[in-house]
Amino acid sequence: MRKAKFMMASTGFKASMTFSKTAIVACLLLFTSHLTAGIWDEGEIEAGQALFNANCASCHKVTNEVLAAPGLAGIADRWGSSEELLIQWIQNPQGAAESGDPYIKSLVDRYVPTYGWMTAQAVSADDIKNIMAYVQNPPDVAQVADSGSDCITVDELPIEESSDDSGMWFTMLLVLFLIVAMAAAGVNRSLSNASREREGEALLADLPYSQRAKNWAWDNRVVVSLIGVFFVAYGAVLGYQGLMRVGVVEGYKPDQPIKFIHSVHVCENEVDCKYCHHSAYESKHAGIPSTNVCMNCHKAVKKGRRYGETEIGKIYEAIGFDPESGTYIDGEGKNGYSNPQDSFDGEPIRWNKVHNLPDHVYFSHQQHVVVGGLQCQNCHGDVETYTVGRVANVDDINQLVDKYPGLIELSKPTLTMGWCIECHNKAEIDLASSGYYEEIHGRLKENLRGNEELRKYMEDDKITVKELGGWECAKCHY
Amino acid sequence: MANTKRYWSGLDELHETEAFKTIQEQEFPESKSVDEFLSDDQLESTHTGRRDFLKFMGFSLTAATLAACETPVVKSIPYTNKPEEVTPGVANHYASTYYDGQDYVNVLVKTREGRPIFIKSNTQTGVGRVNARVNASVMSLYDGARVTGPLMDGSETSWGVVDEKVGQAMAASGRKVLLTNTVMSPSLLRAITNSGLEHVQFDSIDYGAFRKASELDFGVNTFPSYRFDQASAVVSIGADFLGTFGDSVYYAENWAKTRNPEQGSMSRLHAFESNMSLTGSNADYRTMVKPSEQGKVATALLKAITGEGQAGELSEGVQAAVAKAAKDLKSAGERGLVVAGANDLNLQRVVNAINAALGCVGTTINFDGTKLLQGDNASVNKLVQDMNKGEVTTLIIADCNPVYHLPNAAAFVEGLSKVKTSVSTSLFGDETASLCSIVAPTHHWLESWGDLQIDDYRIDLVQPTISPLHNTRNWGESLTVWSGNPVDWYTFLRQTHSAGYTAASMYTDADWNKAVHNGFVGLEKGEDVVPTFNSNGVADAVSALNGKTGGSFELALYQKTTMGAGQHAANPMLQETPDPLTKVTWDNYVTMAHADVDAMGLNGFIGQEKPASVVKVTVNGSSMELPVFPMPGQAPGTIGVALGYGRGANGENIGKAAFQTGENGSFLTDEAGNLVPVGQNAFPWVSEQNGLHDYQQLNVEVAATGGTYPLACTQIQNTFMGRDSIVKETDFMSYFNEREVAKGEASWNRVVKLAVHEDVNGDGTINAQDAKPTEAFDLWHEHAVENVGHRWGMTIDLTTCTGCSACVTACHIENNVPVVGKDEVRRHRDMHWMRIDRFFASDYSLERGEAEGEGVIASYRKMEDAAANPQTVHMPMMCQHCNHAPCETVCPVAATTHSNEGLNQMTYNRCIGTRYCANNCPYKVRRFNWFNYPGYKKFANFNPAQDSLMRMVLNPDVTVRSRGVMEKCSMCVQRLQAGKLEAKKAGAPLEDGSVVTACAEACPTHAISFGDLNDTGSKARAISENNRAYHALEEIGVKPNIFYMTKVRNVEPNQA
Repeated sequence: MRKAKFMMASTGFKASMTFSKTAIVACLLLFTSHLTAGIWDEGEIEAGQALFNANCASCHKVTNEVLAAPGLAGIADRWGSSEELLIQWIQNPQGAAESGDPYIKSLVDRYVPTYGWMTAQAVSADDIKNIMAYVQNPPDVAQVADSGSDCITVDELPIEESSDDSGMWFTMLLVLFLIVAMAAAGVNRSLSNASREREGEALLADLPYSQRAKNWAWDNRVVVSLIGVFFVAYGAVLGYQGLMRVGVVEGYKPDQPIKFIHSVHVCENEVDCKYCHHSAYESKHAGIPSTNVCMNCHKAVKKGRRYGETEIGKIYEAIGFDPESGTYIDGEGKNGYSNPQDSFDGEPIRWNKVHNLPDHVYFSHQQHVVVGGLQCQNCHGDVETYTVGRVANVDDINQLVDKYPGLIELSKPTLTMGWCIECHNKAEIDLASSGYYEEIHGRLKENLRGNEELRKYMEDDKITVKELGGWECAKCHY
Repeated sequence: MANTKRYWSGLDELHETEAFKTIQEQEFPESKSVDEFLSDDQLESTHTGRRDFLKFMGFSLTAATLAACETPVVKSIPYTNKPEEVTPGVANHYASTYYDGQDYVNVLVKTREGRPIFIKSNTQTGVGRVNARVNASVMSLYDGARVTGPLMDGSETSWGVVDEKVGQAMAASGRKVLLTNTVMSPSLLRAITNSGLEHVQFDSIDYGAFRKASELDFGVNTFPSYRFDQASAVVSIGADFLGTFGDSVYYAENWAKTRNPEQGSMSRLHAFESNMSLTGSNADYRTMVKPSEQGKVATALLKAITGEGQAGELSEGVQAAVAKAAKDLKSAGERGLVVAGANDLNLQRVVNAINAALGCVGTTINFDGTKLLQGDNASVNKLVQDMNKGEVTTLIIADCNPVYHLPNAAAFVEGLSKVKTSVSTSLFGDETASLCSIVAPTHHWLESWGDLQIDDYRIDLVQPTISPLHNTRNWGESLTVWSGNPVDWYTFLRQTHSAGYTAASMYTDADWNKAVHNGFVGLEKGEDVVPTFNSNGVADAVSALNGKTGGSFELALYQKTTMGAGQHAANPMLQETPDPLTKVTWDNYVTMAHADVDAMGLNGFIGQEKPASVVKVTVNGSSMELPVFPMPGQAPGTIGVALGYGRGANGENIGKAAFQTGENGSFLTDEAGNLVPVGQNAFPWVSEQNGLHDYQQLNVEVAATGGTYPLACTQIQNTFMGRDSIVKETDFMSYFNEREVAKGEASWNRVVKLAVHEDVNGDGTINAQDAKPTEAFDLWHEHAVENVGHRWGMTIDLTTCTGCSACVTACHIENNVPVVGKDEVRRHRDMHWMRIDRFFASDYSLERGEAEGEGVIASYRKMEDAAANPQTVHMPMMCQHCNHAPCETVCPVAATTHSNEGLNQMTYNRCIGTRYCANNCPYKVRRFNWFNYPGYKKFANFNPAQDSLMRMVLNPDVTVRSRGVMEKCSMCVQRLQAGKLEAKKAGAPLEDGSVVTACAEACPTHAISFGDLNDTGSKARAISENNRAYHALEEIGVKPNIFYMTKVRNVEPNQA
């Protein structure tokens, strides 16, 4: 349940698009006693959750656990200074530290050497109120404590072996069977001849196997014909199915230069999809996160559970980071910088693209995620159980319906045009969601009277994407 | 009675020859029987039997099929450290300023993933509008011929070596000169002053006489500032101010502001010119005069307006035209304006006298110190002399190409060889740079910081939109290095605009950032002083002008609207954009009146298989052979030749598109093995006197050579042959009288009605009067696009469309329209999504034919010929997005369909290339990809998509089409989709004007309006409901979404 809630929150996320893209994410801290009216009890939990997930969750937890920054449970009790200082501490940590507040000093001493400074957050005072409301009373934490995490942890994830050798076994068995059958036929003939000899009948001719097979087939021609027809039909069906799979890339899962594990990031550490793939909300591309985004956390998290330092080290190599000193390296190999250096000439990470659309298809993530309000899982499946990215299988996606209410069940293979237009036919447009749709719908309603052509739009009570032109060629091909 | 006529398929049949009879007996003539074939001995020795062949075929087919199933591995490489403002897939726009010595305009540069891909006008804070040249100039950034780093004696070197060498030369004694075009940058001027170099300025096209005349007559040495928006009567004497003259990017928009008939008044434009120019084609009254008569027109105007001086001798027709122009000018008074294009001091002084007499100085023309066009050829001449004397030790040449542009280039070249240290900062190894000992390449303007100041009102800023592609350095920074005080150029720029400078609003970082964001800062300027006119010397000027006489042929050199003075010679997009008047691409040529063409026995009709005749033109002893283009409107006895061609004639590496390619796509070479440039250089025909360049030659020889030369012309038909439903036009008074009449009722824009076989008018009989408008007919089911959802539409005002072709280049760059080269254009396989049909009026009409007793067919045939001095219409033509589209019904695979937003959609991946749609399109706007333009070798030398660097200019939102598919205007559907997405995200109805097509955006005169016709508040809807709006070819009933607006000429009734 925890995951479900978490992902749903992400769909409601719109307001926080203002956050600084390269920012890390961390929010608040600790200590204090009394609750004053204002920052601690005026915010809205739901809005705060969205903000927290977008801005804070990759470093902070709402429990006591330290991820890449202190856990925030009980923050209201720990924070002893003014609300203004808390706001400043979030918006400009270095500035707040200059105030000389003893609690802040203790935090700086304890965490900054390990994790570095928190990035200044582009959140308003009102946003902080909402975040505080959520942090103090996170609705899903309690439930999680009951049910336990249903994440597949790294340790449970199987290490993948790519070879699939069932076909080979099948072939070997078939060959064995043939040998046995031929031997048995030989024995059978010998036995028959022996009995015929005894009965005084003519011996069976010593024919080659092929001739005998022919003879047998002729003797049993009805059965053989039926079997033949069956195989021809079977072959035709197989051929048809095979041809229908041409261009279908379901399950495509190329090896990646870094053995990235989505489940660790998304499920265990609760990093929102859009934290790394933020451009899905701003652009047609979901994008692969730039290395500096990885560094927001991996400046602190230097060792992975499964691959240790090898895989994370590849990020450092690309961006020029010295994990020993925790600083960045410049083009001349000097370290000591707190930010990535342009002069460092690292080899960028060359990922293998998983979802390849042909050049003549224009697909916009922004349209589907921001305007359409689709969840990532609707097309990409349960990514939080993946290791490296892969093309989801439509049947797997359909099984997620209980987990992600609102997900649209489809039948065609993913990443085919049939799949796209099937969804465009099913997906309804929430006309009230945007003044844009309301205006367009208003035009339709005004001109409905006496127009047969237009009535078809209103036969049912819903307006689908198709009815708005989602099946037209130039919506995607230009 | 049965038909007894016999038809023969040939003379053989008629005469029934023996051979014919034999053949006739065999139904299937066989030259070789099967037996004969099989008994061939050699057949045995061939290795591929039929079965093998089939096996190979089968194998290849299977292999190809299987290979196609393989999913290719595609790499995806994210940024390592992503710049904050870049999001892959999202375009950024940056304000900047374009200046190349000719055009000066505030622009917005569109970048994708850090690559500039489109240039448009900065309409928010800028002045002037991007024209075709500026629009296409983004390609020059990616030109593979750019110099990639400093060169010394032709070989690559490092900046350190260059700096040391030039630094020493600068420190040594001797005369050190900097030769540039007009420098308008305060920072560059400061760097020049700091460097201590002697500064000489030189413009590729000389306007020295204008400044000299201003100085003599008004006491201000400046190029005049023309305010066409203030003028109600304009007389242009050979000045193409809409195309290439002066600050044309600013004039065109201003002039169009006065040409809106809905305002109740229109300005009137008289043009006196020898070549048909863009301005002349838009004039209300155009009069053909020879170059030698232009001065006489001015003196006659002066005489008619002031009574002073002596009118020049002119023919009666011209006199009448002058009288009419004078009358209009007098009644306009201070709202009149005379502008002359020739760089002739006497002419400019007389024009000044006329303007002063009209009292328009201070309103339509002013002398307020624009910093444009300060070139001083007297100084250049002195420099060339001194160079030849060996007095100049160091010469640094920046932003100009004197070896190409100077008429006395030979002397310059010789002098250059005597200069000890010659440095060029050119981007290309052009005519000048290739002769300099050092090339220290500067940044492209899209890579560079900079500032520019055109007048005292504002400072415009240039900001980099991409990191420098090559190892280049701004030449201002180079100057600081060479003069011993190296400063980073950005720092230098900020220093220029720090405390003490007039623009206080740029001192702080915040103010500076704001200025960079806007692209400019405004300056406080004192009161305008209207200078007083000093009439001394007008009498001498008048007599000098009246004394001019010409020979049998006079030559007027001009610049093409598409090519300018030659700075864009390597730009394939501009080379292939047709000249607005001749519609010829990829060449310059001699324009000649039809009368002269016929008299000389030259080819008067140029077609795919009819090459142009070649003539030899001799000017002051220098000859060139050029093809002849017969041009309606060319004054008889004159010829015109475009400047700006023949770049790279000595094989200089200035860019691949500057050179001719053959039919197989490889470069053509001359006997010496040099590449053959596109067109020929006419600058050597410019003469020079008293430091003024003269672009008119009054006595030239033209002789037929008998040779021919193919010209690639996109439009052959000159007139619309009486099809009045293509172009509708009227005169202003007729319009004014019926301006309130309902749409479809006015005499000049009557709705087309078709006769039907029913009693429509109820008079009891069925006859030709029983007619219904085409709206009433529906051949097939109607698309429900009206009033529901969006209905994208466009209106094009033929009154303000000047034909400048800015829309053409904008469209083609936005939509990755391929460049196909001269050979394919010649075969009418140009891929232009948007073309501008240029129609000349014919003298002939059906009525005249009837009066003269000609038959209808003969009359129509005569209507194909344009008048000698025709009126012109420029009509932009692109897919009309018909709601009853004839193309859609004939497509066998439904590759072209209609959207419920009124778009005629073309789906490339569905198209199988039957071309039925193109055949069925009444507007002929569909283009077929005959070749794989982005891959086939024939196009390798000019198609941008085939150049690894220049393909970066392609718009990533638009598919690059492959061979075998049809394409056409998509109404910039990628912009529509993006605009709708923005509206949806904002949660608000789509705002009118927030989505605009590339052509509408580029139009400098706002002739094109784009919008949602279903949005009752949209501008396009309002214009489409105007009574001037009509559909082209309305009678065929295809119901387009594009509306044209009846052209209104400000002429006397019945002259339109």
